Amino acid sequence: MTRRRLAITLLGLVVVVLGSLAGTIVAGNEPSLGLDLRGGVSVTQEPVGEFDSESLDLAVERIRERVDSLGVAEPEIIRQGDAIVVNLPGVDNQDDAIELVKVTGEVLLRPVLLAQVVDGLDPNTNGVSTTVAQTPTTTVAQTPTTTVAQTPSSTDSSTTLPGGPARPITASSVADSTPTTTTASDLSTTTAVTETGGPPVTEAPLAEAPVPTGIPDPSDRAATVLAQNADGTEYYQLGPAFATGEVFDGDARADIIGGGWGVRITLRDGATGADLWNLGASRCFVKDTSCPTGRMAIVLDGVVQSAPSVNQPSFTGGVDITGSFAEGEAKQLARVLRSGALPVRLQVQAVQAVSPTLGGDSLRAAVISGLIGVGLVLLFMLLYYRSLAVVLIIGLVVSGALQWSVISLLSRTNGLALSLAGVTGIIVSVGVTVDSYVVFFEKLKDELKVGRTLRNSAERGFTSAWRTILAADTVSLLAAATLWWLSVGSVRGFAFFLGLSTLCDLIIAWFFTRPTMLLLARSNLGVGRRILGIGKSVLTPGGSA
Amino acid sequence: MSDDNSSTRRGPLGRLYHGETAIDFYGRRHYGFIVSGALVVITAISLLFSGLELGIDFEGGVAWQVPASPTLDSEVARSVVAQNGVEMANAKVQTLESGELESIRIQVGDQSSEVRSAVQAALAVAAGVDINEVSVSSVSSSWGRTITEKGVRALVVFLILVSLYIAWRFEWRMALAAIMAMLHDVLISSGIYSLFGFEVTPATVVAFLTILGFSLYDTIVVFDKVKDNIERFSASRTGIADIVNVSMNQVLMRSLNTSLAAVLPVISLLAVGSGVFGVVALREFAVALLVGLLIGSYSSIFVASPLLTVFKERESRFRNLRGLHASGAELEHMVVTGNATGSKKVRRQIEVDTESSQASPVAPGSPLTHPPRPRKKRRR
Repeated sequence: MTRRRLAITLLGLVVVVLGSLAGTIVAGNEPSLGLDLRGGVSVTQEPVGEFDSESLDLAVERIRERVDSLGVAEPEIIRQGDAIVVNLPGVDNQDDAIELVKVTGEVLLRPVLLAQVVDGLDPNTNGVSTTVAQTPTTTVAQTPTTTVAQTPSSTDSSTTLPGGPARPITASSVADSTPTTTTASDLSTTTAVTETGGPPVTEAPLAEAPVPTGIPDPSDRAATVLAQNADGTEYYQLGPAFATGEVFDGDARADIIGGGWGVRITLRDGATGADLWNLGASRCFVKDTSCPTGRMAIVLDGVVQSAPSVNQPSFTGGVDITGSFAEGEAKQLARVLRSGALPVRLQVQAVQAVSPTLGGDSLRAAVISGLIGVGLVLLFMLLYYRSLAVVLIIGLVVSGALQWSVISLLSRTNGLALSLAGVTGIIVSVGVTVDSYVVFFEKLKDELKVGRTLRNSAERGFTSAWRTILAADTVSLLAAATLWWLSVGSVRGFAFFLGLSTLCDLIIAWFFTRPTMLLLARSNLGVGRRILGIGKSVLTPGGSA
Repeated sequence: MSDDNSSTRRGPLGRLYHGETAIDFYGRRHYGFIVSGALVVITAISLLFSGLELGIDFEGGVAWQVPASPTLDSEVARSVVAQNGVEMANAKVQTLESGELESIRIQVGDQSSEVRSAVQAALAVAAGVDINEVSVSSVSSSWGRTITEKGVRALVVFLILVSLYIAWRFEWRMALAAIMAMLHDVLISSGIYSLFGFEVTPATVVAFLTILGFSLYDTIVVFDKVKDNIERFSASRTGIADIVNVSMNQVLMRSLNTSLAAVLPVISLLAVGSGVFGVVALREFAVALLVGLLIGSYSSIFVASPLLTVFKERESRFRNLRGLHASGAELEHMVVTGNATGSKKVRRQIEVDTESSQASPVAPGSPLTHPPRPRKKRRR
């Protein structure tokens, strides 16, 4: 390899490392700290019983929405196999934390007692139960304009629509038939809202400040609850759930129905499927006291996903939900219904709360003792390898800068958090990097001892050291990858940092150590063997003997 | 340490520094095997009778940690927890010194979330601190089992992958020796944990895994050298015992350097991090790392390589060279020059060497009387 190419390699690495370091500093990226280093609550949940992975994905999304809505700084939500780990730094009450992340994944079908469209109002000032997550980013179905209709394949032909003229079975839009669209301006009117089974209050506007003394738990099926849709544009008072999403088969899919996007789903047979659904549907259809608006809300974890009007008293086979859905909205609704058909039941498996002072102590101790340890190693190397150790020290600094940049970047983009296990892993990885140098330096000394020139020795020494380093690092990478895929908890975090530092070791060896040493060996600077701590062997003819 | 090129014989440290040691590891292999065998037996007995002290992360349970105060010592803490209807028969109450701060850790079996909160509140009141100063960890026993199972599975998969890799990159005998040495490390480390009643936590497991990787790394460096030397000596009739001996001596300094470079930060973690600052989590790491490092360094020298020799001796090309191996000056000659002493001429020369040097005050293997052969080789 020519001197020029070596110089370019070295320069390239320096530019890349300095560039990424500068970028990190300019962007203000910093490694975020794990719970054990700054205090907070970590909750691990795992699904029990039967579930499918789509439901689990949805549950993770729901948890993320809820955590984001609360404004926890730098939350970490990780899937580890089937387990969901939620790390909430800075949260100190573990019960709040558990409450926050407890998503049921259960889809409830509730009759809509009251509905209220919000027009350009801040939902938070509306006095509606704040246990409901504000999730403005997720767009779900435009509820006011949705309807439920029998699938065309069904034999039932009842087509009477509530509050409107007869329409085809797969009526695509009945926007004019939903009562809520007309009450948007009546927000200031205060009307007492009665409990379940109260008189029909179909056209009454939603109470301005109905916050009850004890906010009903949205997951309580028997309670009358307040809820809103996902984008916060409509509020509902919902009656007790008459069924769960389990009345459906898990085959909901978004489809073009009657010229617009809708969701088609099959009902399960028997007492737990179609019968249950039809019981509710018939009530909503006739708008009796338990379902005065004639609309049925599909609720997931306290958020109304869609609240279509019911077009017919009974269904057989399947159900179509149509309305002015966008394609994405229909797909999201189908997804919710699919996961509701086989809801994932999460169980809290582990809770860990670390007080902030304890975490801070750990960090300080780890950093100080780590620096002392690394300092001792460097001192030892300086004594042993003399000026060669300077190359090692610069290499460690470069490696440190590289790792800092990568960890900072991943903290920003992927929510990676540096845990105590990670910090320890990094400190120990200094040992690995130093070892790579030791392997190289020893081979270099071997070659020099046999009487080769410095230039020749450096080249041969690196070639053989590189082979050894590669073999040994491959084993480390194998370990990191295996642990990353197969284990859970802190071991996994450790595996990541092990892998990262091993990769850095390889990069430094090839792109820094190799060009630096080969260039040094060619220059006149490298001539003084005694400076390098490399003595000639007394047993070889090259020696003074 | 001197690095002068004078023709006088170096002291042991000087020889170590220059990679000119001639330690007959093969001849002393039985010591290693006996020590390891004894340790394994002790481990087995200890594991059988006292078992491992698993932390709550593996068995499930609840742990509270509360800063100690004049109103709260471990006895008070114990009674506070007991008052909340927690079974205290198997409870562990420890006092942890953390610099000027002292805290009490109470660990019991699985509890409901109500009990967890109630005890947390009660402890905060008893200690006169804010409730947020009381840390709570809880792990359900099923989750603990999952963690353990996944960890064991990961380890088994790792072992298989590593064996395959070493078998492919080197050869299966080396894979077998490396894995056996690694199992030896795991076994004896767990024996030490069982014997001294240290608690096994996820931190411990993480630390062990680090060490397994490290010890394997060490072993692989030695084996790489062995592989090199097998090629280098292939022309001469040199036994595997000699080759391994030579390789071990050649990489001895590197092994020691590496181990020292790894041990220094760990000792610092232990002495400064957990000693001065008293951070318990660091102590868990550091103790496990130290135990693992020491055993790993020991096993790559005294277990892995001798095992490899024993396995390789069965190979046809080395079988009839069994039992013969060089030591002393002959070994030193091979270590330093990297050339075999196969030829009779060299052997005789060395014998003369040894005899003459025994008579003279100069130590054996004096460089002055060495054969000119290497010079010829260099000119080639």
